[in-house]
Amino acid sequence: MAGIAAASEGAAPARASTPAVVHRRVSAAAVLVWGLIATGVLAMAVPLVMTAYISLFRDAVVVFPPSGYSVSWYARILEFPRFGDALGTSLRIAAMATLGSLALGIPASLALVRYRFLGRGLLNVLLLSPLTVPGVVIGLSIYVLVVETEIATEVPLIGSDLVLVLAHLLITVPWVIRLCVANLVGLDRSVEEAAANLGARPWSVLWRVTLPMMRQGIVAAALFAFIVSFENIEMTLFLIAPGQTTLPISVLQYLEYKVDPLVAAVVMVQTLVIAGLLLLLDRYVKLSRIV
Amino acid sequence: MSRPSKRRTTGLTAGLLIGPATFLVMGALVTPLLLLARYSLNRYDRTNFMVEALTPENYLRFFYDPFYTGVLWTTLWIALVTTVLCLVLGFPIAYRLARSQSRWKSVGVLLVILPLFIGSTVRALGWMGVLGRGGLVDSTVAALSPGSSFPLLYTPFAVVVGILSINLPYMVLTLQSVIEGIDARVEEAADSLGADPSRRFWHVVLPLALPGLATGGVLVFILAMNAYATPLLLGGARFQMMAPMLFREYAVNNNWPFAAAIAFILMVTTLTLTAASSAFVQRRYKAA
Repeated sequence: MAGIAAASEGAAPARASTPAVVHRRVSAAAVLVWGLIATGVLAMAVPLVMTAYISLFRDAVVVFPPSGYSVSWYARILEFPRFGDALGTSLRIAAMATLGSLALGIPASLALVRYRFLGRGLLNVLLLSPLTVPGVVIGLSIYVLVVETEIATEVPLIGSDLVLVLAHLLITVPWVIRLCVANLVGLDRSVEEAAANLGARPWSVLWRVTLPMMRQGIVAAALFAFIVSFENIEMTLFLIAPGQTTLPISVLQYLEYKVDPLVAAVVMVQTLVIAGLLLLLDRYVKLSRIV
Repeated sequence: MSRPSKRRTTGLTAGLLIGPATFLVMGALVTPLLLLARYSLNRYDRTNFMVEALTPENYLRFFYDPFYTGVLWTTLWIALVTTVLCLVLGFPIAYRLARSQSRWKSVGVLLVILPLFIGSTVRALGWMGVLGRGGLVDSTVAALSPGSSFPLLYTPFAVVVGILSINLPYMVLTLQSVIEGIDARVEEAADSLGADPSRRFWHVVLPLALPGLATGGVLVFILAMNAYATPLLLGGARFQMMAPMLFREYAVNNNWPFAAAIAFILMVTTLTLTAASSAFVQRRYKAA
């Protein structure tokens, strides 16, 4: 009896200690997880914070610690038309590419989700394939085709808006299709069927029921199309001409020679404008739900 | 309306809906790629630039010259390292965001989305300020031990860090949406059945998130293989990756046939590896 009592007494602390060990191991894991989270957040945040910081340096050369701070670089941006012109080109191309990619991508995603036809799977792969081809390869191949067309027709095309927009459509349409297809698959089809049963014609079902239900998907698609076009460097590099440069490329060309607070200020203005637009958009459509 | 004619009209409607997008991809991707494939078999010569020919010499030159194969290996390992880092660092952030109930969640997601809108040059600029000669790290080291310098810019490390910070938001967003698709009750069930957190992670969350990890991994791998601005600005003149090398052959050397061959080598390598990894994950997923 005594032996059993002693054994059970001895066992009790052992049993109690198991959760403590688990707890200690869990907290080590938790420290590791929080370390990973902190590293990841730093990796994403440091370059942006640093750029903002450099844009406030007073000296034209980047040295730490700076001799002083000033916001005068922001005022001087306008003295450098290369950035202003490039921003204009970027916005124009991105806006046209966004509208065009919605016009091409929304009907295509409707066909892919709402219709059954021969070669549907193949077309799905084909339409998303520009996402898997490296940007430099797309850029070089379009350039080569444009040069051949120029030789055949004697119409100057390199650096024209037409070529840039068509090329940007190629990389924005797949994003529109991807986001709209995901959105359409999640929509309840019975609402459209009810509208049709109540006598709505196919066109008015599309216009009054399907498209309004797709609103979130369309906004997300437009947003992504705009980003993809606006920040593209790899493909666009091959298609620009002197005097027709996009903002990321003119910043890149500047950075190949020097880093200074001016270029940091240019980039910060761009960032702040986009952040403002995003926050505005977030009031209408929850970005956290659509991207 | 009889059945076959109805089928014909739906087929026609579908064709009209999907036709323009298909036409675009055929005209701006398929046709140019076929033309580029033809160019890659032409011969380069210093006076005429490109001579019509049908020769594999551009591809042979790439694979027989250790310089070019070295660039391919560098590109592959940089892409692999950054993809693994993105997976390891992206998962915890994505998980926190996906399972968060806090009202700050949308702010967190917004902070992840925001860098996506800002071009890769901005990130490169920030890292140049941190890692460059006279940059933050260098001057801190110099201040702590005078006379020494610690420039990290123009090293493979700088390129890895730069690509990581650009690709991480893509990974976080992909994983976040996948994790939100996993029913939280499955995890609660694992908890109530006595699984500790690490067991719950390895046996429940990870297998369910595996397709998402594959999607995100493939996405950031392609982005890294394709990287142009980051290796150019953070790697410096002596550090070579495929995309900047291709551009140099085209723009500086005017050797279009060789640039075309590099394009196909880069594309086929990327596509083969991504297809192989998706096939591997799909098989694992079916077995599990």
